[in-house]
Amino acid sequence: MPTSNNEPASDLRAPTADALPLSGIRILDLTMVWAGPSGTRLLADMGAEVIKVESARSWDMLRSLHFLSGSPHGWWNRAAYFNHNNRNKYGITLDLQTERGRELALQLVATADMVFENYRADVIGNLRLDYDDLRAVKPDIILVSMPSHGKSGPESHHVAYGTNVEQLAGLVSISGYPGMGPHKSPIAYGDPNAGAIAAAAALAALHHRRETGAGQHVEVAQWEAMIGNIGEHVIGHQMDIQTRAERPRSGELAESLGNRHISRVQGVYECATPDEWVAISAGSDAEFAALATTIGRPELARDPRFADVVSRRHHQDELDAMIAEWTRTRSQDDAARELQAAGVSAAPVLKIPRLMQDQHLRARGFWEPVASADAGTWDMEGPVWRMSRTPAHIRLPAPMFGEHNQWVLGDLLGLSEDEIAALEAEGVTAREPNLGVHS
Amino acid sequence: MTPPLASLRILDLTSGVSGPWCSKLLACYGADVIKIERPGIGDESRGHGRFPGGVPHREKSALFLWLNTSKRSITLDVATATGRALALRIAARCDAVITDYRPADAQRLRLTHDDFAAMNARIVTTSVTAFGQSGPYADWLATNLTSYASGGQHYLSGDPDREPLQGGGYQALYQAGTWAFGATLAAIWNARACGIGQQAEIAGQEVMAAILEIYLPDYAYRKSEALTLRRGNFASAAVGIYPAIDGHIGIHAMPKNWPQLIKAMDAEWMATDERFIDNRARLRNDDELMAQMFVFAAGVTRAEASERAGQHRAPISPVNTVADLLESKHLNTRNFFVDVEHPLAGTFRYPVPGARMPTTPTELRPAPLLGQHNGEVYGELLGLTRRDLAKLSAASVI
Repeated sequence: MPTSNNEPASDLRAPTADALPLSGIRILDLTMVWAGPSGTRLLADMGAEVIKVESARSWDMLRSLHFLSGSPHGWWNRAAYFNHNNRNKYGITLDLQTERGRELALQLVATADMVFENYRADVIGNLRLDYDDLRAVKPDIILVSMPSHGKSGPESHHVAYGTNVEQLAGLVSISGYPGMGPHKSPIAYGDPNAGAIAAAAALAALHHRRETGAGQHVEVAQWEAMIGNIGEHVIGHQMDIQTRAERPRSGELAESLGNRHISRVQGVYECATPDEWVAISAGSDAEFAALATTIGRPELARDPRFADVVSRRHHQDELDAMIAEWTRTRSQDDAARELQAAGVSAAPVLKIPRLMQDQHLRARGFWEPVASADAGTWDMEGPVWRMSRTPAHIRLPAPMFGEHNQWVLGDLLGLSEDEIAALEAEGVTAREPNLGVHS
Repeated sequence: MTPPLASLRILDLTSGVSGPWCSKLLACYGADVIKIERPGIGDESRGHGRFPGGVPHREKSALFLWLNTSKRSITLDVATATGRALALRIAARCDAVITDYRPADAQRLRLTHDDFAAMNARIVTTSVTAFGQSGPYADWLATNLTSYASGGQHYLSGDPDREPLQGGGYQALYQAGTWAFGATLAAIWNARACGIGQQAEIAGQEVMAAILEIYLPDYAYRKSEALTLRRGNFASAAVGIYPAIDGHIGIHAMPKNWPQLIKAMDAEWMATDERFIDNRARLRNDDELMAQMFVFAAGVTRAEASERAGQHRAPISPVNTVADLLESKHLNTRNFFVDVEHPLAGTFRYPVPGARMPTTPTELRPAPLLGQHNGEVYGELLGLTRRDLAKLSAASVI
């Protein structure tokens, strides 16, 4: 049941100067796991009314990744991974594979501005909830689809998670320790990347609707969305093969630079505490001279081995040893501070516990407390799109499974208590997920 | 059809990767993006390469060409009083200004949101920097490496017994740019609704800290450091990168993907093997599962693995190289690459923007030459004559 501090704000249709930017925008959110939910979270943070739909047999897998010992009752409401990605949203259960569930979903679509889905490419059609179905009940609806490979093309039936997406997109092939083969990023990077692109594209579609009155179907193929982030390599590769006598062999990897950079003295250096590191990056001659002075070796700036960008690159191993000698006597914070004071780019390589203590993020109020009936209280990262006049905060904890059924079905769709009870008896809605799905 | 952002005009005061990526996305969806570059020098990415034949040329940098398609370039030295006044006059005609100034620089140049808002109450000022506009590090110098480091992803990346490893390219900078793109549109939406603009602020550190998958949420909630360490190429046997006959493949199987995975591996015997009988058993026998994955990968080419993955709908992917992308039948069927002809750099195939909208322009205009649009922009927007421009040029303002 909604509590007093999370009453739905469905009547905020008239924009006022202090309302959140997207108040009055309603989004039906059929997405699960990370890509889609990370995108709708950005819009929810900005005040959009996001209604997340799950069902007993199709519920968000992130709820299962809780790592709590003994699986206490209600663990599906306690997984932090789920709770971070679905804050500021409402949640209902509705089995879209039932005729009644589909009908009610379409009734909600008729009141919504946008629908987000990140199913496999064929699912939305199988559910008969494709763009044409939605448009029939809401002519200017904006549908955002986020299949991994897109909805057309010979591999559109393939499936992929965020780690697969960065493999497909070529990013993994240009990542790694030099000479050591490809390396994955530590996260399912394709997901939040596609989410951020999809959220922005949805807003572009909203601008278009305001100008023309027309909705549209936006398609974000997660694989394609990731390639943009290495576009300079796509063009650079074509430049290289123009000037190379032989074509590269299939699968041949480009040389990865690891922590280094083509025109900067750059790397991570261990500090006084083992496995504590500081990242340092010095580009121009002036920045390099400041680095040399800070580490107590001002003569390096006049050394012909380090006279310019090219010679410094050829002799970086020697420089690395001298820089590391200096960092080994300091903490990562002190090293970064001293270098910054001298005009050199540097930052501590923050491990997560340190990140959450970082004085800069603390001073900016980045961490906000959140309270949830089942999960308790803890600190969560606040909205990252920071608006000066309409600052956003965490208004709502992530929805417990089916938490807002009553509000959505009763208040928004006008169903009677008997009808709502019948839906539950028929299994169209549910109070608990079918636990076998993600075990 | 009208592109989605055809009604927007954007003034872009940024250089490098984050800001230009943000404004490129705006331009790709139809906004008129006017890019201000320093006279004679231009965007710093013009100096970066790669270059055709390896020969540096400020109109031929792959990084610049990629990040600046579909924009108009004018030269202007905003550090001069005349240049600043001209920038403000252009801002008066825009929906948003994109800047990457650290707060001290914005103050020094007197190009803050308040300065723009004084000319145009509806203006949105998007500030995209490494550390944001407030706090003790706000004026720190930064690069992709330092944002990767300060945002928490760097420490998690790489092998447990080696130093933390930066991911390829400029991921921290691109990510900040993508988030700035969305924030800009949200703020403009709001400004159009209520008639008042505001500053939309993106800090690279915060963007990176917000995309730490399960790792940050789990620590924030349970206060356990179990998931805060580097784990190399394997989150577990079921989520990792394995060597194949002609390169590498990646596997990412969650419990519900198990039946499809073992079909694709042609290893259905695993369904009844006690060691792999359910998720708990598989986690207990992670080493043995990993051994099976290595064996499978070693026996297939990337193309074979991909074909089986598609046939059985298993989350297995080839580790594609950039060359593979350009040759991909799937991407080419979807017309993902378009030829862009640049008058000096030549014609290359460019990816189209990642969100496909039926109303998106299907063509990308080549990145502008330095100052290519001085005549039309200063003429059209500010009514300056050729003679005015000659004077400004003589004074090194443009």
